[in-house]
Amino acid sequence: MVKSSSLRTILLSPRGGISAIVLLVVMICAVFAPLIAPYAYDIQSLRDANLNPSWKNWMGTDEFGRDLLSRMIYGARTSLSVALTAISISVAIGMSLGATAAYFGGAFDRLVTAAVDLTWSFPEILIALILIAIIGPGLNSTMIAISIAYLAQFTRLTRVQIMALKSETYVEATRSLGAGHAHIIFRHLLPNALTPVIVAGMLATGDAIILEATLGFFGLGAQPPTPSWGAMMSSGTAQIFIAPWIIIFPGLAIAITVIAINLFGDAVIDVLDIRRQLRDS
Amino acid sequence: MRYTAKAMLLSGSALLSAGLLSLAPSASAMAQEAIFVMPARDVGAPSYNPILGTRLNAATTLIFDRMVIQDADQSFHGQLATSWETSADGLTWTFKLRPNVKFHDGEPFNAATIVWWLPKFLGTENAFMTDAIDKVDVIDNLTVKFTMKNPDPNMLFNMASSFMGIPSPKSFDQLGDKFGVTGAVGTGPFKLESFVVGQQTVLVRNEAYNSASDLSVNQGPAKLKKITLREIAEDSTAFLELKTGGVDMLLSVPTDFLPRLSSEKGTKVVTLPGTEVYYVAINTSVEPFTDIKVREAMAFAINQKEILASLFGGVGEEAHTFLISGLAEAKVDPKLLIAYDPARSRKALDEAGWVMSSDGVRAKAGTRLQVKLWTQSGTEFKRITEVVQAQLKAVGIGTDITAFDAATITAQYRKKTEHQLAVRVYSWANADILDWFFAGKRAGHPNHSMWVNATSEALNEKAMKGSRTWDERVANFRAYHENLLSQFVFAPIYQPVQNFAYSQARITMPATVRGTRLQSQTIVDIEKK
Amino acid sequence: MANFLIKRLVLLIPVFLVVSVIIFMIIHLVPGDPIDNIVQIGSTPQQKAALTAKYGLDKPLIVQYAIWFGKLMTGDLGEAIILRQPVSSLIAQNLPHSLILGSLALAFSTVVGIATGALAAIRRDSWVDRTVMAVILLGSTVPSFWLGLLMILVFAVHLGWFPVSGARSWSALVLPVLTIGLGGVALVARVTRVAMMDISRRDFVMMLHAKGVPPWRINLQHILRHALLPVVTILSLRIGWILGGAVTIEYVFARPGLGSLLITSLNQRDYPVVQGCLLMLAIAVMLGTLLGDVVQALIDPRVRERTG
Repeated sequence: MVKSSSLRTILLSPRGGISAIVLLVVMICAVFAPLIAPYAYDIQSLRDANLNPSWKNWMGTDEFGRDLLSRMIYGARTSLSVALTAISISVAIGMSLGATAAYFGGAFDRLVTAAVDLTWSFPEILIALILIAIIGPGLNSTMIAISIAYLAQFTRLTRVQIMALKSETYVEATRSLGAGHAHIIFRHLLPNALTPVIVAGMLATGDAIILEATLGFFGLGAQPPTPSWGAMMSSGTAQIFIAPWIIIFPGLAIAITVIAINLFGDAVIDVLDIRRQLRDS
Repeated sequence: MRYTAKAMLLSGSALLSAGLLSLAPSASAMAQEAIFVMPARDVGAPSYNPILGTRLNAATTLIFDRMVIQDADQSFHGQLATSWETSADGLTWTFKLRPNVKFHDGEPFNAATIVWWLPKFLGTENAFMTDAIDKVDVIDNLTVKFTMKNPDPNMLFNMASSFMGIPSPKSFDQLGDKFGVTGAVGTGPFKLESFVVGQQTVLVRNEAYNSASDLSVNQGPAKLKKITLREIAEDSTAFLELKTGGVDMLLSVPTDFLPRLSSEKGTKVVTLPGTEVYYVAINTSVEPFTDIKVREAMAFAINQKEILASLFGGVGEEAHTFLISGLAEAKVDPKLLIAYDPARSRKALDEAGWVMSSDGVRAKAGTRLQVKLWTQSGTEFKRITEVVQAQLKAVGIGTDITAFDAATITAQYRKKTEHQLAVRVYSWANADILDWFFAGKRAGHPNHSMWVNATSEALNEKAMKGSRTWDERVANFRAYHENLLSQFVFAPIYQPVQNFAYSQARITMPATVRGTRLQSQTIVDIEKK
Repeated sequence: MANFLIKRLVLLIPVFLVVSVIIFMIIHLVPGDPIDNIVQIGSTPQQKAALTAKYGLDKPLIVQYAIWFGKLMTGDLGEAIILRQPVSSLIAQNLPHSLILGSLALAFSTVVGIATGALAAIRRDSWVDRTVMAVILLGSTVPSFWLGLLMILVFAVHLGWFPVSGARSWSALVLPVLTIGLGGVALVARVTRVAMMDISRRDFVMMLHAKGVPPWRINLQHILRHALLPVVTILSLRIGWILGGAVTIEYVFARPGLGSLLITSLNQRDYPVVQGCLLMLAIAVMLGTLLGDVVQALIDPRVRERTG
């Protein structure tokens, strides 16, 4: 898919380079949280609740006297892993669904298309809230809910790609050589349709981070003491007058991360010149 | 009163039932019209039906009068009854009714109303309040006599409950299921003009009001002409509305807002004794809490003092029993009080065979002491629960928190074996709440502790049905309470105070609040500046 | 055109049937039931069963569905179990709030989005383009509840320009409209900008330039007009958002609306209300998609031929 020369072009462009650095920093925080965080995320010290940012606690402390910077770093881990896992699941299922629907056509295709059309324009937040009501609150439920909320998008995108590829001669040729359906779909069609879907998935990861935060705001995501940026903002709402930084820092973290994802995605789109494919779906 | 208790038991979601408002023209600036914000816990209360309702909101006492009301000093004052007496054996009660009282629909209030009204409770959830009354007889147009099945020392307390607001028989029968939704007719100082559940209730003055108790200065119609009661789910939003002048009064303010409110100029906070207790329900029917030692360890691991000091700035009280401290039944043998004692907690766990492991969570025969800790959505719940989690961890009990909405958690409780520990709150100023939460017949919900025990049942039965006088009732309930404390079926945490806040610039509040809550007897005296 | 419309409408009928089944099944999958919320505590299983029977919840799901759907065909959405009101009147109380908030937010994001997107496209790769797109990007990448809270803090509390919450006056609409609208601006502006840049590379634009038509006229009259097609498509797909997607904002600003009604009822397991709300949303989404197609067909006849 992305050739190394393209990658170099992306990284050398100003927005691609800067956003890549930002994303790298966030990912390092997420992966190496226990090594980077100055304190444990769950050790309470009620005497030190709601402290202003200081040298000791760079971002201050929360309502339980926990170091906010440490929770932000661990929060990156939760928020990113939820968003990435959810979107990966969504992309995987969406691609298989979209590809099979497009490849086989007929009633199955019509069914998938109808379902996709309907849920695609349904607010993701409502889909997620209803799903969590069914399966109960928690991190795993959040992941499942988010992945289902975005399923339509990837199914649709893949389907359009495959539809275009299906009629090309090499598919016919492979088919006449006696290749099975699975072989054609997974070895020949999907790899060619992969790039736009992966890029769309990357962009959707940004939206998924925001959706996770919103679910966290409603208290449905990560359960205490696990920090996620959304859950941190949820408890920060009640403290907004005495300790506004509790809600401001996670909000900024989300904004910066999502902007970086968007810019990087834009750079990729421009370099690979796949904007039309993404939009037409 | 019980409505908040029921609110916690049965409410729809506290978090997601967003406070809603209709697009009505702004009326805040007009004379003698005030906007109040209902307690967040009352948001979404579906009806103003005092007989069938399980959740009644703070406006209920403005629409319906009761026979009697209770003052802060526990004394009873007549509202629709002017006097009452009971026979020496406690088996009859005679009430004289207030003359010339009319319902909002013009129907007269008299002895016939009472005869119609009391039997309506049969078969409803609120039936236990009138359970002891065998029959009601009309002595004359304004006198009724209750004949009792057994003496009920709690009679007047029950009569003073919000659920004892008397509706107009005609409207009640006419509206049927819809009474309290599309209309609500009582004799109270305000008439229901409109009610949109989850959004707002508009009340207008009852110009013919003449049944104020001697607790109110104002004996005629209320000073305020119109009250709009908004429902706002998020406490911070309500607070900002008061701060910016969008509303005149918040009927309830969370304790952790007090430091901020007291620094607001022009805002006055009034604090009344609390009727709530936060506690952890312990499911005694599932491992590891079938072992009384583990329950003991759990109960004594909770640091009430730390929670009071750091989460609530010292406002309120530590809870060491199940009942609010003002009740005589809460004065138990000091040896039975449950107060933070980490050494006792660790010792109990050691004795039960749970050994500390390197990760800070105890284990026994390969099983970790890791349990479910449930809580409900809402800031105070979550804050208390997170601290409880840390405190339990300190003695080696690991917990996994899940915050549920109210309907889901109730459904889960009813399964009886899904829950282990649950942080809860109730609001009720009478010892009979023990029966509510620990009677074997209610195991699952609301007996979340799943406590079914012959000794306790006998003590409960004696307290509920076998008390002839108030003193006897106190002694019996105290014995039942001590029995429950000795079995560690729950762990007490915190007893908040009630706070309400108003704008001094816009509202004149009477010097003292009459009664155990801010209700009609005080609100009729409130004036807009 | 009429032919096209009829065909599309007929196609919606089976979709509607399937949707009604899904909506009905979804709510019954949620653990707990409304009877749990109204049954007496400590009542016997028989009493609970009687109550369940009263609301018809004891029948097999398929029968319950048939009853519900039958009523639906006569325009009856049923009666709320917890809220004890006709579902239609509950929706009537809430829908106008959603419509007003949603359409104003949509109008705001359309007008501002097209304007900024066009500006950025015309001044492509200049500092104007970069600044506009950066600001817009920021608006769409912060969680809306966060933006809403900050707006309340700044404009309602510190500056005192607008009410904090509620829906009691028109001024109370400003902050929620801005909060939702800003998210949409980004989307519209990006689509507009990209579409305009695409079209400006087409042959007919080159020809117009060669003919000496003034650049502003080319930009506004020719390029922008063609660029509206993808914008309209995107917007018509957002009709579902208008009605239901504002639930977070409704919560933050304590406003009524269809989303809030849905979530409240979902939490109380008030089946008829949830079904009614979801149905309304689904119909809106279907009509929105149809509307998008119709507008596309009007602007671009080729669409009509393809589908028709």
